[in-house]
Amino acid sequence: MVACGLSLAFLVFLLAGHPGFREERVVMFLAINIMAGTLVYYIRLAQRGEDFYLRTIPGLKAVEEAVGRSTEMGKPVLYVPGIMDMDQVETVAGVIILGHVAKMTARYETSLNVPVSRSIVMKAGREIVRESYTMEGRPDLFQDDMVHYLTDDQFAYAAGVNGIMVREKPAACLYMGKFYAESLILAETGNSIGAIQIAGTASQAQIPFFVTACDYTLIGEEFFAASAYLSQKPELLGGLKGQDMLKAFVTAVILLALSLRVFNDLGWIGWNVIDFLTVQ
Amino acid sequence: MMKYIIELILSIGKVDRRWIFLVIGLAVLLPLFFPLGLPIRATNATQRVYDAVEELEPNSKVLVSFEYGPSTKPEIHPMAIAILRHLFTNSQKVYVTCLWPDGQFMAEDALTEIAEEEYGLTYGEDYVLLGFRPGNEAVVKGLVSNIRKLYTTDARGTLVDQIPMMANVNKVKDFDFIFSASAGYPGTIEWVQYAADPTGVPMSTGTTSIQVNDVMPYVQSGQVKGILAGMPGAAEYEALIGSPGIGTSGMDAQSIAHLVIVLFIVFGNITYFIETQRAKKY
Amino acid sequence: MLWKRQIPILIATVIGLLTLFGWFIDNPGIESFVNDDATQWFDILASFAIFLGALNLMKLQGKKVLKQHSGWQYSLFAIGGFIFAIVAGFIYKGNDAVSWGFHVTSKGTLFKWMFDFIFTPLSATMFALLAFFVASASYRAFRVRNLEATLLLVSGIIIMVGRVPLGSSISSWFIMYLLVLVGSIAANIKLQDKIITFGVLLGGVVIVTIWGSLAGWPVDQPSIFYLPMLQDWIYNNPNVAGARAIMIGIGLGIFATSIRYILGVEKSYIGE
Repeated sequence: MVACGLSLAFLVFLLAGHPGFREERVVMFLAINIMAGTLVYYIRLAQRGEDFYLRTIPGLKAVEEAVGRSTEMGKPVLYVPGIMDMDQVETVAGVIILGHVAKMTARYETSLNVPVSRSIVMKAGREIVRESYTMEGRPDLFQDDMVHYLTDDQFAYAAGVNGIMVREKPAACLYMGKFYAESLILAETGNSIGAIQIAGTASQAQIPFFVTACDYTLIGEEFFAASAYLSQKPELLGGLKGQDMLKAFVTAVILLALSLRVFNDLGWIGWNVIDFLTVQ
Repeated sequence: MMKYIIELILSIGKVDRRWIFLVIGLAVLLPLFFPLGLPIRATNATQRVYDAVEELEPNSKVLVSFEYGPSTKPEIHPMAIAILRHLFTNSQKVYVTCLWPDGQFMAEDALTEIAEEEYGLTYGEDYVLLGFRPGNEAVVKGLVSNIRKLYTTDARGTLVDQIPMMANVNKVKDFDFIFSASAGYPGTIEWVQYAADPTGVPMSTGTTSIQVNDVMPYVQSGQVKGILAGMPGAAEYEALIGSPGIGTSGMDAQSIAHLVIVLFIVFGNITYFIETQRAKKY
Repeated sequence: MLWKRQIPILIATVIGLLTLFGWFIDNPGIESFVNDDATQWFDILASFAIFLGALNLMKLQGKKVLKQHSGWQYSLFAIGGFIFAIVAGFIYKGNDAVSWGFHVTSKGTLFKWMFDFIFTPLSATMFALLAFFVASASYRAFRVRNLEATLLLVSGIIIMVGRVPLGSSISSWFIMYLLVLVGSIAANIKLQDKIITFGVLLGGVVIVTIWGSLAGWPVDQPSIFYLPMLQDWIYNNPNVAGARAIMIGIGLGIFATSIRYILGVEKSYIGE
């Protein structure tokens, strides 16, 4: 109902001359609204009690095992939330997963070490870890220095984290965030100390390195789905279902655009879909 | 006899990884001292960068952005040098920006070596170093909307309005070509998304080998005109412009190192094969 | 509660919606906010936050030295390096002919010396470690476990050799002979028959030799067996197809996550 009302209002606005609206970007505007609408629809559906199937993600199941293993061995858990700042969605996703991991370490009374490369990530990380320890009823176990700053520089940070690994020999190393060339340096060092390693990233170029050197890797979407998976909150699970629907929608658009482009190339139609879809 | 060979292979297969490091170290080091002079053949992606630069009219305005630091210098600096050589040989006007703070050090080095010492060009007339500005993609967006708002002075403190070659240069659209020498974020992808695509100014790039995968879809779709992929890309470009440099000299070392890694992989698989056969037997 | 829950969510929603939809509004004020101000605000905040990080670093390293925790000697390097960088950046230029600010990139200054002779070699060394780690990781991980792993292994080898000049020196005829050899080994393993194995090997060698003699043994022909061409094809086709698929998936993931924050559905970042 709301969606219909908004669509009607936008249509009226468009026909009335749409003052202040960038007409050349209307395709993008519509795409964002359709996609956001789909997500909201499935979130609402989930909130109303609809049950969604969520396939098992071995990497996420392994997080609890990794924390458990650290507890058994009496060694710390090392959590690396990537090397970028909070303006990157991957870092935010990494910090959110840190919250879930912190709940586990609080529950198992295992020590947690989170070296970070950005001050704002340090602040955000501390807040979320403190909150997790409080929610688990163990605020006494929380210390500010669990989340500590090393340096902003990419390779100096990698050297610092490697140093921590070699000295403290954590039983579990989790890499969740945005990574660049340091990914293999970290993961190989983790491998050499025999730690169980789980990585999650949307940095496409680093995925092969993590797959090679880690025990489990959350690839792209799986990484973003982690928060929903770990919390099992219906509204987040609904978002995942919506995301799947979006993928089907995007696939359909790709196939349709491909056909239209072929027809245009063959001279059957005079309208070029690429010009239509190219955002200025 | 065969049994001893198998045992030997298996014992080497369990070798400490530091031995692997030592062999790789030697494989890289030795060809640097004793060059093999392997022939270099340009790939299609490198050829497209060369062609895009060649197509520019003399005195075209080219924006070159330095987005790398000392860590990736061995890989990216040779291509930056080769591109600058090509541009100056073709009498293009070069405008240098840096999205990374340490990119400015790299740009200073490259311009001193090529523009000043090798070509004896005049600063402010043939090339200008605008320098680093913080803000990542916001800098690219700023360059697209108004360069003068972002840069009131260049890297040497001269007012931009007083630099002769900055006349009539107000935004990215005023350039004829963009080249991004990039080692990560912010870099090539930000230039494509916020500058080249919206303004239609053609662009090429040179990246680290690791990053090529990220950029390749943009190259294939034509949004980026070719790519210099890591040190081999630099060596190929040096071969195309007929000026062998650091990239070319590193190629022998990289070739041998790759070969050694392949041999390790093959050897690893032989051990794996023997082990699985034994496991099946017992 | 209001300060810790509702207000942060409200800020995320308002700024998120403004940034998202501001791109469609033809208004210089909003445009300037979306393109410049919002990002620069973040940079300003991040710049000030560096003090928090630096203080935290010094506090931890200082504590380590004072309490003589294991490896406290390394902390001395961290503290010493920190102080040296501050001196070179803000206190001592080392070259009076250069003004403050420009001393960072000018020749003959302490900061430039530190950059050229400490920072540069250390950074390059760390990056160079990748070569060693790539070797050890490939040695351990590239195994012919199943069909997919074998395809990965073969394409990995083709890319590694085909990408460098060594690959362009390897004739496609050599690769063909190699394939004949691999084929006969496979036939031997599968069929365990010496005659068939010998037949495959001899037949293959004869065919390749006759074909090569007729064609005049050109290094890069037939191109399907020429490593640089093959690696180009792998890079540009299967690789880019996979990369695009992952890219679209990641893009959707980023979009969905951002929408969840903007709409206040995802509240984990404030600890819920």
